[in-house]
Amino acid sequence: MSEEKKDHKKEDFEPRIVGFLCNWCSYAGADLAGTSRIQYPPNVRIIRVMCSGSVDSMYILRALLEGADGVFVGGCHPGDCHYIDGNYKARRRMVLLENILGTLGLEKERVWLRWISASEGQKFADTMKEMTESIRKLGPSPIAKHWNL
Amino acid sequence: MTQKVIKVKDNDVIGSTNEFFRQLLSSGKIQALLVPQNTPSKKVAFPVLISDPKKLHADIIAPILPASTAAMVSKMTKVQPPAKPIGVVMRSCQIRALIELVKLNQANLINIVIIGVDCPGTFPLNTYAEFPEKKTPTHFLLEAWVKKSDDAEKYFRSVCRMCKDPIPTNADIILGFYGTDFEKEIIVEAHSDVGKEILKDLPLEDEKEGKSREKAVKEIRDEKTKKRALFLKEKEGIKGIDKVAEFFDKCVNCHNCRQACPICYCKECLFDSSVFDAEAYKFLRRAEVKGLFKMPNDALLFQLGRMNHMILSCVECGLCEQACPNNIPLMEVFIPAAENAQKEFDYHPGKDRTEKVPMIVYREDEFLEVGEK
Repeated sequence: MSEEKKDHKKEDFEPRIVGFLCNWCSYAGADLAGTSRIQYPPNVRIIRVMCSGSVDSMYILRALLEGADGVFVGGCHPGDCHYIDGNYKARRRMVLLENILGTLGLEKERVWLRWISASEGQKFADTMKEMTESIRKLGPSPIAKHWNL
Repeated sequence: MTQKVIKVKDNDVIGSTNEFFRQLLSSGKIQALLVPQNTPSKKVAFPVLISDPKKLHADIIAPILPASTAAMVSKMTKVQPPAKPIGVVMRSCQIRALIELVKLNQANLINIVIIGVDCPGTFPLNTYAEFPEKKTPTHFLLEAWVKKSDDAEKYFRSVCRMCKDPIPTNADIILGFYGTDFEKEIIVEAHSDVGKEILKDLPLEDEKEGKSREKAVKEIRDEKTKKRALFLKEKEGIKGIDKVAEFFDKCVNCHNCRQACPICYCKECLFDSSVFDAEAYKFLRRAEVKGLFKMPNDALLFQLGRMNHMILSCVECGLCEQACPNNIPLMEVFIPAAENAQKEFDYHPGKDRTEKVPMIVYREDEFLEVGEK
């Protein structure tokens, strides 16, 4: 395949991203992006959770193993957690997950954690654009082609 | 630290340690001992809770770890600890696991006297049961140990060959075999006030050459550290989904590894929960995503999920690997993962009871780059 065709293929590729958004901040931020009619790529499938701290690594791994090209976790800014410290715990969990993915060479770049508040509709849209483009550059997840997992 | 010695009579190492244990039980300072003892068939040595000194025929050198001793102490103490002291004879990896279980509120050390034993390594359960040499595994091992030969090396479980630390820490009393001619003298060290109090009235002799023990301990620790580093370097190759999927290919999702793991204590594991029960159409839908769907499903998800849940407390006892019915050399991925993850959080499982498990604490000013651009 020529280099040109490869690029063409990458541009055709639409990443599928699973997004876990916390009820109190990031989900409201996504809502604000919608009600404010801010355009952002439709590549993210949003799942509302009560807190970023409730997202067990298992759910992120499951999305990746089932063929998601990226997983996004959105939480309240540090200090703003509705449950006081859920996002600090989410941060530690993310550090651990990234470390393990790193050790096993499983492209930790596909997993993102970001803080987005209820008033940051624009930031949510920008982050989605940024992540979609970043995953598009990485290409389809190599995990997706494996069925023997 | 107080150092004393057990005088070994007629080169009978095991007999002399048993004499020591009988004295300990008869002294009344401990009411029972949890100590490995061969079953009548001599095919396996299980920890046995012994209250009658006359029934004590222990074998603390028996190179076998059939199940987690730490999990047994947890079972015995988490509902209610004993009213009077119980001595538990453990290897270093199991003491580390016990300390982790204490931190996780799954075991209680009240009235538990930890008696640590230097561990040269253990054989896989079936090797011990069907030992091919003429001697018993214990005698074969002791002989190799005295001669400083590597005759026993080929029988050791691979995880024992690169043991993290074969010398017990956090024990009240340590029975030392490194740094002494143990066919004549076995070292007994008290590492806590409880340990000192127990040893005080026992008919033991004072140790004169404390230096040789110190030197030998340092030597064996250095040797194991080197072997472990070499192993870690070799196993860097299991990277990328192709290799990882191939590595776990034989996993049948039986969850035996979790059953054997001292750290996996959850009453109901997420992977046994109804999260994984679903209507047929959902299975079909999953098949449609990739065109086909392997069953039993979610084997790799279980392995990686379990790793995420327990790796920070992994004490590298290798019981998961021993429990695997399909001989997946689990430690080849678990040791590198444990090494990296524990380094990330600067956490040392089993080292210090006051050190908090990383996933229950946090600092506001840490990992600031995570979550921001």
